[in-house]
Amino acid sequence: MRQPGAYSKLLSGGVSGKTGPHSLPLARIKKIMKKSSEDVKMISGEAPIVFSKACELFVEELTKRAWLITLQGKRRTMQKDDVASAVITTDIFDFLVNLVVEDRNNSTAAVAANKLG
Amino acid sequence: MSDEIELSLPIANVGRMMKKILPPSAKISREAKERMQQCASEFICFVTGEAAHRYDICWALSSLGFDNYSEAMLRYLQNFRGFERERANQNNKANNSCSDEKDEEISYGDDNTTSTPSFDFGILERGETSTAN
Repeated sequence: MRQPGAYSKLLSGGVSGKTGPHSLPLARIKKIMKKSSEDVKMISGEAPIVFSKACELFVEELTKRAWLITLQGKRRTMQKDDVASAVITTDIFDFLVNLVVEDRNNSTAAVAANKLG
Repeated sequence: MSDEIELSLPIANVGRMMKKILPPSAKISREAKERMQQCASEFICFVTGEAAHRYDICWALSSLGFDNYSEAMLRYLQNFRGFERERANQNNKANNSCSDEKDEEISYGDDNTTSTPSFDFGILERGETSTAN
């Protein structure tokens, strides 16, 4: 018998609860989708709904992984570099590497500049 | 800058999602939330781009390695469709006093299996059906 996966447990509680069925504004999701690609001409009514749930799962997974890194550093406050490290160490988040590394390089450069100045 | 903000998910929502999964004593820096916001927006763009080629978000999620998400999505969508159908039927009954039931076609594309509508969004195991209360 198939055991419930991590994601079905996440989905089984609180979805239709306090914040309503969707935890993200569908109009905003639609806007992001439209801007993402010129190939996107029309978006079905269900697509933003699917994405709102997919984003929730994505955020939860990345948050969990980032938190493990926070704990490894014996801290209780998650920093942006924890999120970056979680991205870098997870294969399926490869598409985010440029986004986080670029920012890290900028912040490292800024710190270095401050030290010189 | 305002364009970037418009193309991001609201930071309050993102922060709420993050807090939900962490212990109550955990703290999240503003910058960490902002980074998560950017990552989530990029996730949407990335999958949308793939879906535009694959014609289907769930397929795109699978092909990009987010297999677990696509299975969960399909179940979520089935439940949502059942909920919407039930709501539409209730509205029809309220509007029509006559006894014949008009089955409202909700064109979502694929045929839906006739699952018992469920008001809660609990995910069903494969092979199980929900029982309406």
